Amino acid sequence: MRKGTIVGEEVWKRFRLDDRPTYLQDRLAGVGDRLRNRQGESWRWALNDVSLRAEPGESWAIVGTNGAGKSTLLKIISRVMYQTAGRVELSGRVGALIAVRAGLTPLLTGRENIYLTGSIMGLKRSDVSRRFDEIVAFAELEKAVDRQVKYYSTGMQMRLGFSVAAHLQPDILLVDEVLAVGDATFQQRCLDQIRTVLGEGTTLLFVSHDLAAVEASCTNGIWLQGGEVRTSGPIREVLTAYRGAVEGEAKVRGSIEGLIKVTDVEAVSPDGGLAKTGGQLDVHLTLHSDLPYRAWIYLGVTEGAATPIFLLNPGRETMIEPGETRVTCSMPSLPLPSGKYYVWGGIYKNWTQGDELIGWQPLTEFDVYGPELDAAPRAVVRLASLHVDSNWTID
Amino acid sequence: MPVRAKQPRPEIWFRRRINLITAAKELWSFRELILTIAERDLRVRYKQAALGLLWAVIAPVVLMVAFTVLFNRFAKVNTDGAPYALFSYLGLLPWTFFSNSISVGGMSLVSNNELLNKLYCPREVFPIAAIADATVDALIATCVLVILFPITGFAPKAEVYYLPLFLIVLAMVTLGVTLAVSSVVVYARDLSLVLPLAIQVGLFVTPVVYATTSISHSKTFLLAFSALNPLVPVINGMRATILNGLAPNWLSLGIGAVSALIYLLGGFTLFKRLETGMADIA
Repeated sequence: MRKGTIVGEEVWKRFRLDDRPTYLQDRLAGVGDRLRNRQGESWRWALNDVSLRAEPGESWAIVGTNGAGKSTLLKIISRVMYQTAGRVELSGRVGALIAVRAGLTPLLTGRENIYLTGSIMGLKRSDVSRRFDEIVAFAELEKAVDRQVKYYSTGMQMRLGFSVAAHLQPDILLVDEVLAVGDATFQQRCLDQIRTVLGEGTTLLFVSHDLAAVEASCTNGIWLQGGEVRTSGPIREVLTAYRGAVEGEAKVRGSIEGLIKVTDVEAVSPDGGLAKTGGQLDVHLTLHSDLPYRAWIYLGVTEGAATPIFLLNPGRETMIEPGETRVTCSMPSLPLPSGKYYVWGGIYKNWTQGDELIGWQPLTEFDVYGPELDAAPRAVVRLASLHVDSNWTID
Repeated sequence: MPVRAKQPRPEIWFRRRINLITAAKELWSFRELILTIAERDLRVRYKQAALGLLWAVIAPVVLMVAFTVLFNRFAKVNTDGAPYALFSYLGLLPWTFFSNSISVGGMSLVSNNELLNKLYCPREVFPIAAIADATVDALIATCVLVILFPITGFAPKAEVYYLPLFLIVLAMVTLGVTLAVSSVVVYARDLSLVLPLAIQVGLFVTPVVYATTSISHSKTFLLAFSALNPLVPVINGMRATILNGLAPNWLSLGIGAVSALIYLLGGFTLFKRLETGMADIA
């Protein structure tokens, strides 16, 4: 097997359902149960027949909701945990960044920690020395390297941890949802570094909820749900399937009620057909209230999550009289590429304090017909999809 | 679509074959890591203590002085003519090494929890690193003898050359017990509360402050005692050779050595068996 290969075949993992910390008294009670021939143990399968094969230089993303088994899979691959059934094999040195402080000892200085992590990864001191300056420079810790790590900020610890893991030339690099801690510039540098490391032939396994970052750095993906593989293959396909399912969960609820009621919502183009990129879209809201309110109305267009691509509001207070109120928001030129979108909305009594009449929630959904979103070059993270017309001149 | 099996096929269940030779080889390839971790723990310990390495000397010396005062006053121990201070210090040196190893090494998997749940390495590395630190402490504490011999006006005998034999037995039993304790503590955390008590009791079921002959002159007693507690022939032997210039009691030492080997193999096997499940509950 070439260095950097990861093979997982029919991997199963179970945990005790009852995962309280264990004490001697529990052990003794357990022995008593077993002697009385009672079935004292119940199990929960965290991984269910998961197979994965990553060749050297490939980059795999593991996506899935919380509790899908992503971190368990990563731990089994890094051999920290043992599988209950199945075969796991990997060759080469593993660099892992599984938590912010992965392997950092607070009482030691940054310098001592770099050497310690290096030797856990199986490197000789001389190998670490050779890359020492590079590691420190990347983490931007030149002034702090001889200070104890307990005096580092969370961001500094994260930078150090990432820098060590990424610079010690591992054959396999495991990254688990840690980049979120760094600031935006550092995140971008991390993604660039991941790309460099990939270019050197390292195999990458990347767990993240940041689908944009995943899309920018991985070529393949595996989507876990409840411990089972839902889809695996090229990243684009996996993410499309995953997004579809996750966003499907942002279901528009039947009745929308707060202090006032939203009795009807629709997002339509004026001619009644599909909304088009660059075309007009109207959102009609029908509200019903028992009391008069002075309210601030917000609408947001999202890809499913609560964070909108853009936000709309009338820019002034709206009088809501007792009885029916019809509100129409018209967007003359929709800057969205082809896809499925959601309208989220919220109505608040007070602009500054935000006493809510209707909490921020999905109201309705609509499809847009138009050009596909252009593919982004690697390591460019795109936070939202917007279509902007542009004219180019090249002389 | 076929319904997914809710259980893995029986033939793919993961069974770990315990092969102590392979395990020892892997451990050897991680020797540099053991030293790094031992060095880290030493640094951490002495960064926080103003007296630094002196602490390694203070603990056994204070105990030695206390025992000397106590036992000279209240109970006479037959030391075969050697000064009691030397007699008890030679017992305290291996005992302190053993108890330090168990108390620090026994907790090492729990205290390094964060590290060993992030990165792979054979987990024996942590308890063994703790033993390495206890060795450093013991070496420092041994330096006290350089002063203690002249003070008591006593000279070590030439039979010191038997020492490596005792050290081998001591190393085996320490390693075995430390590995066993450290792995079991992961599964039953409240054992960490029992541990200090057990060590205190251990001090009195080991001939540290007294001689085996203080309890009984029976030969069978000595052999049974040596089998259960391999520290007995170690301490007895060190005293007999260094202080009295005698050869060790070979039968007692042999039984102790076999017993220590059983402790070692048993502890290592237990450790390897428990290792697979550690990350699940830690």
